[in-house]
Amino acid sequence: MELNQTEEAGHVILQPVGEVDLSTSPALRDAILAAIKAQDSVGVDLSQVDYMDSSGVATLVEGLKACADKKKFTLLTPSEPVMKVLKLARLDGLFRIQEQM
Amino acid sequence: MNKPGIAMEVSSDPALLGVVRGAVRCFLDAYGVPNERTAEAVLAVDEACANAIRHAYGGQKDRKFRLAMRTTERWLELEVRDSGKPAPRDKIVQKGLPEISDHSEITPGGLGVQLMYKVFDNVDFCPGKTRGNCVTLRLKRPE
Repeated sequence: MELNQTEEAGHVILQPVGEVDLSTSPALRDAILAAIKAQDSVGVDLSQVDYMDSSGVATLVEGLKACADKKKFTLLTPSEPVMKVLKLARLDGLFRIQEQM
Repeated sequence: MNKPGIAMEVSSDPALLGVVRGAVRCFLDAYGVPNERTAEAVLAVDEACANAIRHAYGGQKDRKFRLAMRTTERWLELEVRDSGKPAPRDKIVQKGLPEISDHSEITPGGLGVQLMYKVFDNVDFCPGKTRGNCVTLRLKRPE
């Protein structure tokens, strides 16, 4: 997994590229939690993720929880494999999901 | 009975999970499992292996688990066997997936177990009394 990050005025977008599994989700977790600490709005662009397991899903849930009601946490354009695992886990309704950038 | 198939011994290093997924995908392809079903099954087997690494071995990378992929007349069987800490009974029972409002309860291991039940036609957990776990995931063979 590679991780791209872009920032503009109070808003961070993290873009993991590749596979998010037990070996790579800790790096995504660290990046998400650091971004939440630094900014009020965090987007995770999931368009370039071609595999995600439950550790990846739990990482996103953790991000959402860390934002509580104070900050904005959005999933951007999830790829088909990501939507599939979110739906399989019945968690697709939990997140704010933005289909188009 | 000797069931036709393939087995691999894998170090408990998360970096190898991608290799395991590739092998499982090839095995299911070889027996004509449709792509959609294969993707879900690969995920669920990955969860079983990840639980061995994370929970049975507590994240130690230098242990080993064994993945066996076998065929019977009725099933495609995928078995993950470790020699680590046995899973507590309450962690491996079928509970269904949590309601959305319960997301505070979500943990990767717990979610993984419920995904295994959801995806496979038959799931058998056999934690050892003092050591080791074996989980057998069975998919009906395509007609």
